[in-house]
Amino acid sequence: MKLVVGTEAMFFLALIMAFVYFSSAAGFKHQQTHVLDIKATGVFSLLLFSSSFTFWRAESNYKKGRVGRLKFWLVVTILLGLVFLLGQANEYHKLFDEHINLASSIFGTSFFTLTGFHGLHVIIGLIILLIVTRLAFSGDYDMGGSNVISTVGIYWHFVDIVWVFVFSIVYVIPHLF
Amino acid sequence: MSALHYIILQVTGPSIFNTASPEARKIGWLGNGFLIAGTAMMLLVIILTVRFTLRYRAKENDAEPPQTKGSHKMELLMVGVPLVLVIFFFFWSLRTMSAVMPGRTGDQQPDVIITGHQWWWQADYTASHFSTANEIHLPVGKRILLKLDAADVIHDWWVPALGAKMDMIPGRDNYLWIDIDKPGIYQGACSEFCGEQHAWMRIRVVAQEPAEYQKWLAEQSANAEQPADSLARLGEALFEKASCSNCHSIRGTGAKGDIGPDLTHFARRQTMLSGMEDNTPENVYQWLLDPQKVKTGARMPRFIFNRDSLMALTAYLSQLK
Amino acid sequence: MEIDHLHIPEPHESLPDLSINDNQGLLQWISSVDHKQIGIMYLWLAVLFLMVGGVEILLVRIQLAVPRNHFLSPEMYDQLFTMHGTTMIFFVLMPAIFGFASYFVPLMIGANDMAFPRMNAFSFWATFFGGSLLYFSYLAGGAPDAGWFNYAPINQYNYSSSPGIDYYCSGLLLAGIGTVSASVNFIVTILKYRVKSMDLKQMPLFVWMILINSFLVLAAFPSLNAALVMLLLDRQLHAHFFSAAGGGSAILWQHLFWLFGHPEVYILILPVFGIFSEIFPVYSRKPIFGYGFVVGSGIAIALLAFGVWVHHMFATGLGNTVNNFFAASSLLIGVPTGVKIFNWLATMYHGSIRFSVAMMFSVAFLIEFTIGGLSGISFAIVPIDWQLTDTYYVVAHLHYVFIGGSLFGLLAGLFYWFPKMSGKMLDEKLGRWFFWLFVIGFNLTFLVQHLLGAMGMPRRVYTYPDLPGWGILNFISSGGGFLMAIAVGLLVYIIIKSNVKGEKADADPWDANTLEWTVSSPPGLKNFDRVIPVKSTRPYRDYKRPDDADWKREN
Repeated sequence: MKLVVGTEAMFFLALIMAFVYFSSAAGFKHQQTHVLDIKATGVFSLLLFSSSFTFWRAESNYKKGRVGRLKFWLVVTILLGLVFLLGQANEYHKLFDEHINLASSIFGTSFFTLTGFHGLHVIIGLIILLIVTRLAFSGDYDMGGSNVISTVGIYWHFVDIVWVFVFSIVYVIPHLF
Repeated sequence: MSALHYIILQVTGPSIFNTASPEARKIGWLGNGFLIAGTAMMLLVIILTVRFTLRYRAKENDAEPPQTKGSHKMELLMVGVPLVLVIFFFFWSLRTMSAVMPGRTGDQQPDVIITGHQWWWQADYTASHFSTANEIHLPVGKRILLKLDAADVIHDWWVPALGAKMDMIPGRDNYLWIDIDKPGIYQGACSEFCGEQHAWMRIRVVAQEPAEYQKWLAEQSANAEQPADSLARLGEALFEKASCSNCHSIRGTGAKGDIGPDLTHFARRQTMLSGMEDNTPENVYQWLLDPQKVKTGARMPRFIFNRDSLMALTAYLSQLK
Repeated sequence: MEIDHLHIPEPHESLPDLSINDNQGLLQWISSVDHKQIGIMYLWLAVLFLMVGGVEILLVRIQLAVPRNHFLSPEMYDQLFTMHGTTMIFFVLMPAIFGFASYFVPLMIGANDMAFPRMNAFSFWATFFGGSLLYFSYLAGGAPDAGWFNYAPINQYNYSSSPGIDYYCSGLLLAGIGTVSASVNFIVTILKYRVKSMDLKQMPLFVWMILINSFLVLAAFPSLNAALVMLLLDRQLHAHFFSAAGGGSAILWQHLFWLFGHPEVYILILPVFGIFSEIFPVYSRKPIFGYGFVVGSGIAIALLAFGVWVHHMFATGLGNTVNNFFAASSLLIGVPTGVKIFNWLATMYHGSIRFSVAMMFSVAFLIEFTIGGLSGISFAIVPIDWQLTDTYYVVAHLHYVFIGGSLFGLLAGLFYWFPKMSGKMLDEKLGRWFFWLFVIGFNLTFLVQHLLGAMGMPRRVYTYPDLPGWGILNFISSGGGFLMAIAVGLLVYIIIKSNVKGEKADADPWDANTLEWTVSSPPGLKNFDRVIPVKSTRPYRDYKRPDDADWKREN
């Protein structure tokens, strides 16, 4: 899984490079600072980051054999992930209302591709989490000793870490410079 | 090498051996230097390979040879020698690079702006306010700055006798210095795949003595002459009435299109269609009859003209001296 | 991912040889998860696409045989050379390498299968369907026509409106997923499934190179995949990554593509270096000269491979500072690549060399690859690159590397390992005919192209004016191409004939050194019941000559 994450990281690196590459284009920064709502997205980002924390809680409880708490923290993680996705959907909706989309400008192109692929990974992560949770509720992890949880964890943390980079580059940095 | 060079010079037209500018010569020296070093390396490998192949061939019932695993001294030599060679060529190439492409200082204006189109070359002589195509005249004995642009996809300017090539990239300005020693016609070609007719995007650089060049500039800046005979006049009228003038310009007439090549002095060019054919009335006629048959994919559509109209247009274009 | 208790599903009644007349016939192959069967399917896939790609380029060479030829339309020509390049790189060399790797990596490290046998099957089928998708474009309205590196903006919808490039993207994406998953599989297999007594310093060099290569794939392919996704977005949803008109950048494609593309060149040559490093010692009856050096330079190449991509872009006007940096790194990578030639020469030195066809290809490789390597270094010398990039000189160079390097290595590997895979010897007498036909044809085709490039002929032109010397050199080149085609035909005949009624092969026909030769030819479904002790890089030789074992000798 670490290898998969490594190769995925290279993929995002390429997308981020493209975003940065284009960020010097005319009108790019204006849209970045004026159209994007850093506050709302910031809140949703915090929720996503905290889902890493909740997953960590789930994992450490599982290692101690507390399957009940594992289930609880898994559900919380999924909810946080879902809320983040709703936030992203809401943001996309607003942007579409302002006629900013994939084809409208180079900003739209690189913004939607980068955040869209991240969103896709969140969705994949949520699907995996749902499966794991379903298995947890049907008692598959009552025995302990499985490494599924920690493996899924590598992926989920990876998705969060990517967002740290995406969020800082897309939202935060243009406000600083 | 010089004997080989001489032979190559005799049998080849446009080649990197047949240089006509100091830039190309500097690159040529570097190339020769590398050729010598490379040949030495090559000979070393060939001699060792052949010798080992003959010398160490297994014989019947050979015992196993001594089982040597390596030698650090030998390895050091294997890395050391090529490394030294490579460093040597690195510094030689640095020197050549700064001589060939010194970069543009300040706001130097280019002498000629060349724009690659699918599949022809537009040449704008900014100081003299005119535009021509495919046959690019330049003076000898002067350092000229070319600005290279692209109108659609990536093209590449390459005239081997004049030195380095340079890509023409949409949305990007590239510059190239050219010095030409001796007058002559230097052939080149687009060197980046640019679509169906990439093959017929050939360059002709006509290098002229300064006086001759000035004369050419003056001729080109002038408007097109009025057609003398009636057939050509008919052609002129047709040119404006049919859609020719939407894409082509002929200065001094109503034709002001800027999509296709400027045809003001078309008949002075020796070749047509970017070096694909000689510029003869017969070839012009065939082209107008069906461009897609002559140069498939070219941006010029087929117009249905009757024979008389074609004759008139051909006559008109062929007298645009 | 930790693997604790892995159940390896295995088909019950099958022998992984080339005949498919087992009780379940073809179905058993299609559903196979056995690394040996998957390896053989990879190799057949490569042979199939080699013939397809070969026919494509023969048509191209007919068109180029004489000046101003009208055999092919420019449109057809563009599709053919694009498909030829894409096919040969992604669907001939890659599957052939993965075929040998899938077959021999487990055998060479004393494992019974890959770490993830099902994923191995998935990788193969992803490659297979990727190739099929690419070729489906012919039926869907036109093959891709912008060259194998598919530059922007000529890959955009307004310059190539047939769906070919969409199929190029999706086909390569699918195959790329297969490649990446195969690499993950190799890494885990090599790191976790080696027989206990084999430590890293005792791994066969082929296995080492596959390991290094797999990391290279994991780092390089995402860049291609990202570029392909962006291009699909451009073409299908009107995004603006690569079109200058919409604010995008044509150069970005080149950066992303070559960030993948140059490591890809090393991905295609490193495993082959591994094959040669197996073959030279066996046929010279000596250990490899400088085992540690070969491994070390392999790692050096892998690291440097990511710092050289701009040497494909020296003529794009990035400025001398950028060019200098990449010239230095490109010159530097030439050293570990080229110096290996001397490792193999030194292995032959004072050896007792047996010239089977595998060894003949290896020796020919030494010379051909030196030509390709040296012409490669001339591209790292920026001013020479400015003259010669995108000409027939590049065409000559890359074929000396891909054919004289990669393909010769794969052919050497085929003649070396065929007895193990099929239990039959590959006909050595006909093999010699094949060797000479192929080598002569190859040099006839490509040696003259160096000169054509220097004489001013750009690559990828569908025809050319009748300039002095151009016609005759192109004619020679086309003639050589047909010689190669005859040779490949002969090769296919040799393979089929030897497989049907070839001489029976022993378990160890070449007196070789590594573990795969300790089992029967072909190996049974379960590779090993017991693995001989590994105490050096040549465990089988140690076993056969216990008095002169490598590990007993100090040095």
